This record gives sequence, structure tokens and C-alpha cells, in this order.
Amino acid sequence: MKYPGKLIVIEGPDQVGRSLHARLLSARLEAHGVATHNIGLARSKLMGELLKSHTSDIHQLNWRTRALLYATDLHDQINNDIQPLLNAGFVIIADRYDITPTIREKVRGGDSKWIRELYSDVPVPDSVLILHCGPRRLLNRIMFGEKLETLNHFESGMDLALSTSITSSFLSYQKLMRNEFEIMGSELGAIMIPTRGTVETVHDDIWNQIQPIIGDLCQPIN
Amino acid sequence: MSKSGILIAVEGMDGSGKSTQAKLLYHWLRAKGLPVYHTEWNSSKIVKQATKLGKNEQRLSPITFHLIHAADFADRWAKQIEPVLKIGGIVICDRYKYTAMARDGSRGVPLDKIEKTYSFAREPDLTIYFDVPVDVSYERIAKGRPNLKFYEAGMDMNWSQDIFESYRIFQSKVSEIYNLLVREQRIERLDATGTVPEVQKRTRVLFENKIDLSEIFVIDHADRLAENLSKSDIDWLSYRQGVE
Repeated sequence: MKYPGKLIVIEGPDQVGRSLHARLLSARLEAHGVATHNIGLARSKLMGELLKSHTSDIHQLNWRTRALLYATDLHDQINNDIQPLLNAGFVIIADRYDITPTIREKVRGGDSKWIRELYSDVPVPDSVLILHCGPRRLLNRIMFGEKLETLNHFESGMDLALSTSITSSFLSYQKLMRNEFEIMGSELGAIMIPTRGTVETVHDDIWNQIQPIIGDLCQPIN
Repeated sequence: MSKSGILIAVEGMDGSGKSTQAKLLYHWLRAKGLPVYHTEWNSSKIVKQATKLGKNEQRLSPITFHLIHAADFADRWAKQIEPVLKIGGIVICDRYKYTAMARDGSRGVPLDKIEKTYSFAREPDLTIYFDVPVDVSYERIAKGRPNLKFYEAGMDMNWSQDIFESYRIFQSKVSEIYNLLVREQRIERLDATGTVPEVQKRTRVLFENKIDLSEIFVIDHADRLAENLSKSDIDWLSYRQGVE
């Protein structure tokens, strides 16, 4: 299916800079006269509230139920926002799409083939960008970021019993996840974006990568 | 030990009497001292909230309707059905994946997609399809419930602006899919016309023809009395009045 609009997916682990770069990309596109809309996980009217306010309950569900709830969440956004806006010619920037909800269950022993079937009818992205960096750098960003975050049990994969230390568990879990991002990413023809550089260099990298898709839509600022 | 426990499903249209019959089946097996568990469609606590919101705001599309009900089922599968089967118990499911096939299929979700979503739910040892003519179930529902609900009547599909007409159209589509499943011998048709005792009699005959209970472990009488008291906890078979 071809739409007048474009769907750009930004994937990657927590704290890698996904949301920041989604925001910057959106701002730059708007400055060039391109209407954008941001979507993401747990943002649907139907499921968002439940997924956000019951995080620990959701984390304790079996992987199948969790996968179905997240698939419902994305499909609600597709029905109500993504599909109509793509038809209207918007550029949709998805702060995570189907990769994260698939691979985080896969590393927990879930059947990724079964999960991907749940997403078999979603609009195919025009571009998938995966932001990545090493687990230690990620940990660095979490501990020294502005929000002074602490390590999260689920995002550290503590339920996988990889280690009794949440720090070691986090490092091992993120390594597993990075590997899965690469596997599924290469299957989907995703572009891997390293995030070692400054915010500006990473942003420029993203901007250059998506030129073939959005180049024609952009209007000059001057 | 690839297939342990006994899995029973009841299916049928709204107003077919299947829930009444399923509960009677449950109480009968409990009275026999068998380890039996009863679970109902769309009853998982966590998922129900979202389903309710979706229904109240008429926000569910055929695909989100499909996925959210599957989430409910997956949660109950993991927490209720699988553990009971694993320990060799009997599970009675009031509606099973065939309900999803009938309802979601009527809404245009391809049957093979529904099958894939529910691929983890094995075929039951017996699925009883409580069959009543559409007119009969329609009469029962229309009498008992003057206010049909939006999704129950399939109003989301715009088949008709008249809610009763829409319901009738929906139910005939549902019935077609059930008939297909009967032809494929995946569900057993049972004539569900008549009174509750008449249908229960037929239900037990079918159950006893199809299900071998000899392998099922019987819960000790003393253990059963130790449970919280409810209707079936007393062993009526060996009960004698006035004996302490």
C-alpha cells in the first residue's frame, strides 16, 4: 500500500536518545513545511492509560498477553491516527514501532514469529532507524542524565535472572537486546545509527539518512 | 505427558443457554469430587478495563477487538487454564477460540489470522456447540435484554441502523461460522432447544460418550470439605441426613 505520507520509525533501547531525536526530526521537518505527527508505544487512547499506570502489573504478565496488549495499542493508533494521517500526507514519526515489543519478549523466551504475525497487517515503514550504543554508555546516560534515573527492574532484565546484581543484569540484558535489534533490524532493512557523537552529529546522520524519503516534501526555509 | 488434563469448551450464540449448562456441568463434576475449574470469556481483570473503555467509547475496530480479546484469553490461558491442565484437572471454558473465530470472523478478520493468534490454545477434548435456531436465541435475548449493547449487536459494522436488525444479521454470520466448524468436526453440535433440564441431560450424555474420566484424580472428601463452603462442596452422593 502506498500513502501520500511517510512513516519513519525510530527504534532503540531506553535512554539512547530516541525521543529526543524524534522531537528534533519533527521540529526540523515542520520548519521545512512538512506536517508531522509523533506516535509511540503506550500512546493510544485505548491502551495508553492502562499500559502506563499499571506498568508493574503489565511486566508480570506472561509474554503473550503483554505482546497482545502492545499490539492492540499500536493498532488503535493505526486505526485512529496513523492511517488517516498517512492518507492526508503527514510524516509520522514513530518513537518505537514493532521491533521493541517483539524482541523484548523474544529475549524472554517468547515466540517472535508469533508476535510478528500480530503486526503482519500494519503499515510498512518507509524508513526504520535504530539508534544504538554500547551497554556501558547506556548505563552512563541513565546514571548521569538530567532526570537522575535509577535502574528499572524490567529494563534491566532482572526477570531473566541473568545476575543478582541489577547492574550486571542491565549490561547483559542490553547486550542481548542490542544483538536482537541488529537481527530484526537487518531483516527489516533498518539503518543502524551509532550515538557516540554529539546530539548534532547524530541528528545530522538521521537527517541525511532520510533525505531520499522526505527530500521532495521539504520546502526551503529561506 | 504431551497432553494432560481435560479441556472442555462450550460455544454458542448469546441466548443459547451455554453458560447455564456449563455451570451445571461444573457443579456436577465438582459433586463427583473431580478437580474442575471454570473460566469465562473476557474476564481477565487487567484486560477488562481497556475493553470496557474501548466499548464505552465505541473505539474498537475489528482488529483491536480481536487483539484485546486475545489478550484476555492469553492471560487466562497462562494463569488459569494451563496450570489446571498441567496438574491433570478439568477446565471448562465458557467460550473458547471458536468464539473469536465466529465473532471476529463475522467482522471480516480473516480466519487464518485468528487461528494464528490463538495457535497456542490447543483443540479441546470436547467442544459443545449449543445450537438453537437464530430466531430462538434472538427471542430469548430480545425478551431478556431490551437494551442490546453496541458491539453485541455488531453496530460497529454498519450493517443496519436498526439495532435489532443489526443483531440479527450479526448472529446469522456467527451461526454460519459455527456451522463451518461443525462440518470440520472441530465442535460438536448439541440441540439446545427445550428446557434447561432437557438440555442438561443431553449435555451429560454427550460428555460421557466423549470424555473418559477414569484417569482423573479424585479429590479426597476431607480435602473437599476443607475448602470454603459453596454449593458443591458437600458430597451429596455419600451425604446422609442427621449423621454427624
